[in-house]
Amino acid sequence: MRAAINGPRMALAASMVILLSLVVLDGMVNDWGRLAGGFDNLVLFFHQSLWPPDWSVLEPQVYPVCTARAPFEFTCSTAWIGVIETIKIAFVSTVFGMILSLPLSLSAARNLSPKWLSYISRFVISGFRSLPSLIWAIFFVILIGFGPLAGVLAMSVYTVGYLGKLQYEAIEGLNKTPLEAAEAMGLSKMEMAFNVVIPESANDLISHAIFMFEYNFRSGTIIGIVGAGGIGYYIDLYLRFLQYDKVVAYLIIIFVVVLLIDFVSIYARSFFNDNDDLRRPTWLDVFVPEALKMGK
Amino acid sequence: MSETEESEGPIIRLKDVTIGYDPEDPLVDIPEMEVFPGEIVAIAGPSGIGKTTLLRTIAGLVSPISGSIEVCGGAPSSPPKRGELGYVPQKLGLVRHASVLHNVMIGANAGNKAPWALLPSSLARSKALEAISSMGLVDKIGEPVRRLSGGQQRRVATARALAQSPKLIMADEFLSELDEETMQMVLGSVIDYVRSSGSALLVVEHDISRAKSMADRLLVIDDGRINPFITEITAVEVKV
Ligand SMILES: Nc1ncnc2c1ncn2[C@@H]1O[C@H](COP(=O)(O)OP(=O)(O)OP(=O)(O)O)[C@@H](O)[C@H]1O
Ligand SMILES: [Mg+2]
Repeated sequence: MRAAINGPRMALAASMVILLSLVVLDGMVNDWGRLAGGFDNLVLFFHQSLWPPDWSVLEPQVYPVCTARAPFEFTCSTAWIGVIETIKIAFVSTVFGMILSLPLSLSAARNLSPKWLSYISRFVISGFRSLPSLIWAIFFVILIGFGPLAGVLAMSVYTVGYLGKLQYEAIEGLNKTPLEAAEAMGLSKMEMAFNVVIPESANDLISHAIFMFEYNFRSGTIIGIVGAGGIGYYIDLYLRFLQYDKVVAYLIIIFVVVLLIDFVSIYARSFFNDNDDLRRPTWLDVFVPEALKMGK
Repeated sequence: MSETEESEGPIIRLKDVTIGYDPEDPLVDIPEMEVFPGEIVAIAGPSGIGKTTLLRTIAGLVSPISGSIEVCGGAPSSPPKRGELGYVPQKLGLVRHASVLHNVMIGANAGNKAPWALLPSSLARSKALEAISSMGLVDKIGEPVRRLSGGQQRRVATARALAQSPKLIMADEFLSELDEETMQMVLGSVIDYVRSSGSALLVVEHDISRAKSMADRLLVIDDGRINPFITEITAVEVKV
């Protein structure tokens, strides 16, 4: 019989797990002394190499010659070019990924498809998801060479895996009476998919796609490191030249853009909510975390 | 079975059917039940006795525990053919985020088109519009269903069934939540359709006096027995 959950027993179990993790960690580390030196290193490294960030990354590149006029010269900067390319890669791969994931998730949903089809589709979806997009990027760079196309393919594949799962779970969560009504009418599976399932889950599908774009931008920053396009390329470049102050500037820019995209995504997704009389979030709601507003 | 027999035979025929979700705990026994073309049959009985389950079983959504069911002249225990059964579920089963027209078009397409056809034909469209206006919903035609009142949603589900031009309509409490005037309008349209097309109507109606006033026959599912495992259908047939 399963043991009931109770306070002391849970506490004992939790302490054992923590203890175990410490033992495992100790097994992997052979010189704890390095940790003590680590902090001093960090302080030194921070002052000598990281700070202040080198904002020259926002200035136009020397070559090719910048044709933009003031105050838009920054659009010729590596930071701008990189960020825009990452956004483009994220956008295209979200759209391509969704085109592929929708039919897959419709055939993966148990309330719509026969068992065998749902197993096969789930297998494909989780296969795509099992490798992170960075690994897919390495794979496609080897396959088709450096550049944004490798990035688009890598992130599209991962999008199919991730978005597909979100989608079939949304579809399986649908109320079953509309499907029963359609079944009693004798509709084909295609008609059920197009006329019942997609309209009924449209809010979730759109909201997941927006979330996926946001996710793809974040993971898209890293794939440039393996040569698959986007801002990661420049980060990799300056890491190799040990110009850490430029790297820090890129990281700060990425952080700001990720925040912006997150906020826009939260706001956009609030429009695709089942609740009609929902109050739209104000920009204040979006920017200030709930916890900080408790005092109001 | 010859042509003439098929057209005069019952639209629904149940023989020694036991329904329920759990073979160990069946809900209702139906020794014999037939519904003929042009006929209106009401089913009444206490809440939770298995009325909805009976309709779902006839629609082929739940398999019977035992016995044989024929619907719309089909082979025993094969589900009704495309568009032949208009079902108004108790829980309606509407596409809540889609418009009234979209929902009714689903029914109209089911009644008119081959399974592979996705685009609406003008015939389907005119059927949908006719059904919507017979339910008094013309001014709500583009509204998402989730924004309609309970009674309005019920009428959308009824319109969807009518738009199919079905051989059989099964309606589960389709008159609830309606005021007297609207109720008469909805009932009138459905009865008109059934009488003029020679189809049949099987309706679950908990209000016995209303059931008696609309139906040719009334079947009462009655939990009169002590045996908690089986509830007999007592075919208290009331000729009106
Ligand atoms: N999907 C299901 N799985 C298992 N049991 C169910 C299911 N749906 C209904 N039941 C049970 O079957 C019994 C009969 O339900 P049913 O919906 O047929 O009753 P009903 O006669 O239509 O009642 P009401 O008048 O309240 O609509 C109930 O006890 C219910 O709990
Ligand atoms: Mg019921």
